[in-house]
Amino acid sequence: MSPVLSVQNLTVTMKGSKGPVPVLENLSFDVAQGKTMALVGESGCGKSMTALAIMQLLPEDFRVTSGRIMLDGQDVLTSSPKELRSLRGNKMSMIFQEPMTALNPLYTVGDQIGEVLRQHRGLGRRDAHQQAIQFLKAVQIPAAEKRVDAYPHQLSGGMRQRVMIAMALACKPKLLIADEPTTALDVTVQAQIFDLLSELQDETDTAIVLITHDLGAVAELADDVAVLYAGRCIEQGAAEEIIAHARHPYTRGLMSCVPHLRLGKTDSHFAALEEIPGMVPPLGARGPDCAFRARCAFAAEVCRTQPQPPLDRVDASAAVSCWRHQEIAP
Amino acid sequence: MTTIESTAVKPDATALPVRAGTSPMAAALRQFARSPAGVAGAVALLVIILATLFGPHLYGVDPLDIAGAPLSPPDADAWLGTDYLGRDILAGLLQGGRATLTVGGVAALITIVIGVTMGSLAGFFGGPIDTALTKVTEFFQILPPLLFAMVLVTLFGQSLVIVTLAIGVVSWPSAARLTRAEFLRLRNLDFVKASRAAGGGNGHLILRVVLPNALPPIIVSATLAIGVAILFEGGLSFLGLGDPNTMSWGLMLGQNRNYVLDAWWSVTFPGAAIFISVLAISLIGDGINDAINPRLRKRG
Amino acid sequence: MNLALHVSRQLLNAFGLLLAVLVLNFCLIHAAPGDPALVIAGEMGGASAEVIAALRVKYGLDKSLLEQLFTYLGKVATGDFGYSYYFNEPVLGLIGQRIPATLYLVLSALVLSIVIGTVLGIISARKPNGLFSQGVTVISLAGYAAPVFWTGLMLLLLFGSVWPILPVTGMTDVARPKVGFAYVLDVLQHLVLPATTLALVYIAQYSRLARVNMIDALTADYVRTARAKGLPEFIVIGKHALRNTLIPIVTVAGLQFGHLFAGAVLVETVFSWPGMGRLVFESILRRDYPTLLAVLFFSAVLVMAANIITDLVYRLVDPRIRSGGR
Repeated sequence: MSPVLSVQNLTVTMKGSKGPVPVLENLSFDVAQGKTMALVGESGCGKSMTALAIMQLLPEDFRVTSGRIMLDGQDVLTSSPKELRSLRGNKMSMIFQEPMTALNPLYTVGDQIGEVLRQHRGLGRRDAHQQAIQFLKAVQIPAAEKRVDAYPHQLSGGMRQRVMIAMALACKPKLLIADEPTTALDVTVQAQIFDLLSELQDETDTAIVLITHDLGAVAELADDVAVLYAGRCIEQGAAEEIIAHARHPYTRGLMSCVPHLRLGKTDSHFAALEEIPGMVPPLGARGPDCAFRARCAFAAEVCRTQPQPPLDRVDASAAVSCWRHQEIAP
Repeated sequence: MTTIESTAVKPDATALPVRAGTSPMAAALRQFARSPAGVAGAVALLVIILATLFGPHLYGVDPLDIAGAPLSPPDADAWLGTDYLGRDILAGLLQGGRATLTVGGVAALITIVIGVTMGSLAGFFGGPIDTALTKVTEFFQILPPLLFAMVLVTLFGQSLVIVTLAIGVVSWPSAARLTRAEFLRLRNLDFVKASRAAGGGNGHLILRVVLPNALPPIIVSATLAIGVAILFEGGLSFLGLGDPNTMSWGLMLGQNRNYVLDAWWSVTFPGAAIFISVLAISLIGDGINDAINPRLRKRG
Repeated sequence: MNLALHVSRQLLNAFGLLLAVLVLNFCLIHAAPGDPALVIAGEMGGASAEVIAALRVKYGLDKSLLEQLFTYLGKVATGDFGYSYYFNEPVLGLIGQRIPATLYLVLSALVLSIVIGTVLGIISARKPNGLFSQGVTVISLAGYAAPVFWTGLMLLLLFGSVWPILPVTGMTDVARPKVGFAYVLDVLQHLVLPATTLALVYIAQYSRLARVNMIDALTADYVRTARAKGLPEFIVIGKHALRNTLIPIVTVAGLQFGHLFAGAVLVETVFSWPGMGRLVFESILRRDYPTLLAVLFFSAVLVMAANIITDLVYRLVDPRIRSGGR
């Protein structure tokens, strides 16, 4: 079965004041139906740009300069604006980080959900309104009949995000991109949202690209993971494998950054809470050598003189971009 | 044995000296100089002011003298033509500029003084004082400014002083609103609290602590107020409510308006003079705004 | 219910302020140098000794100031705003005749400036640094700086002698009066120049405002969401971005009613438009104080009404205000 989404060698550059600057380099991954791919990394690693590139919603000054994006067999990058419009909201949709500003404050949530149905399914006003109520129920919003006529500012953050999910899934897309869907929400609500996404995925078999820096969510939801650093993918593979046996020094650092509350138990793998010293190199200051070198505890001469290696297949479910990954394996 | 002297921090002779002339004023001026529109406006205004100051003397023609046949087009004798009485228009422009610009400047000053006083008191004290002052501001706002000024001038007499006062008295609400908003914003900031904790009284706080920080938008508003006052004076004079004994641009427009179809020069040039002056002031205002109000700078 | 309470509070506030205007009028009559009776009679016409004596009695000018105030307010309450000795009519009737013309002028200028300003602003928002956009900025500055009576005269010149395709004075063709639909057309023809002149100043302002707001709206998150939903561009702009852009413009426009009125006085004078503004001009010439003061009062009434209506429209259009209860 061919994957729903196939990203191949995607490179995105930004038009800087001193020339083009790459923000994402050579990213490739596939997502199959019903599976979840997590893109993980710190701010500025290029994960949001990936999402926007797939949806072809890159801001001005940002451009895809090479690669292919195939959605269900259709090449997104060469599609006409009209074709793209029929894809968005319909075959692929996206939910954003800030539900308050992502919803139009002047229209009811019912109207905004109904919009997608009216546009892509040709429903009339009343039918769309009814369907909107059904979708609100599907995302577990209580008193859906009343809430459908509410305005965004009348709902809590968690409810707004559910509305966004309803809006995104209304036309039963093949692909859902979730860009940090819970970062702006309270911790307890975060868990609920992830549970909801998981359930809905089971029902609809949608492929999900989950962009997050929350490793806990990755552990729960993701089937596959791609770890991005400074615009480059430095490790990729099955989620279980990467979490249990991270190979790249950065990924290993990430895993040990996560506090693991295990009363009375110390796991040798997750010992003290460590931090990774240093900061992500800013845009335009990234050379061809390994982007993580300056902060890496294992950096050697080869890391400085050689360009960043392509992803090296370690086994069926993991690949890593590091010259020394075999030597430094734990 | 370590003494206080020996452990005291000595001034580091190798430290970089503070660059002289980096006061906020100097920085603002430098920033202003980078805006072509602002500089153009400043130059234009300077030219106009110089023209009105020295022009009448240099051109040598009395604007009230009959210089030629009424409504004659621009020619070698009267460079911009003559008005309905035969008076030289260029002479009128040069002389009239004095009244217009003076009234504009002074009226703007009155506007700012009243407006800033009302606004600062309202914004600083809040509570009942604020409510009362805001009501007063609202009251002045529902009276259309031109109409109100017209009534005042009609009732109290058409002298330059009354006209200037009238303009000043009806235009202050917007300056008051601006100042009040700034004071409301600033009075809760930490440096104000610190100053009060150090023993500052209300007067000190208002005048020497908050007001200097509220100045940027006030300065911009004051600049634009001059332009508004000039337009205002023009309007009043046009309607015949200016000082009848003083030549002003608005007066020229008003007196010659019935002859516009026959003698376009009698109306076009005085109006253009007002236009260019106000334009120059607006450009200066924009330039100042960009220079000292970075956070209010609008995109595009 | 919330709305009714709010409106009542607004009306009460309005009443208080307008009362204050009346008191102001009263104070002005008495603060002005000279005999208040002369002020009331106006300096022209009807100022004979008997009339003045009668006025003194009528207005109780020999009584205490406070009593006089109440007499004055009482008269106003019954609709008696005085008598214009120049026009030979009760002032109220006079104003009633002239208000419609001014309203036509002011409202058409308002609509014209909002529509054209918004369109220009939207077009220039799409390419903020393009030539069109910069052109709009230049026109904005010029429109603001040019005195409205000058642009009026320039337009009068243009259409009066250079290109006479539009009438330049009055509201109707007095020589050949028309009826019915032809009358409406006649008025509209005469309305073009005055309304355009008045609108120019505000077109400048609103296009600037529309441009800024549109740029903000176009880069807002909810517009990105709308695009992510695959909505066609005209819906993204026309439905989502536009409404957010229009709200501040309508609000500003409503609150500028007072200034529009002032501009109307000047424009009506230039084009001999028979409205309240021209009435003011004529009253000034003849020193017809009762009329002048009554016009001041009624324009305050109209400004107040415009403020309340704008506030209502704002509440209706922006749901955040409605339930937030600002």
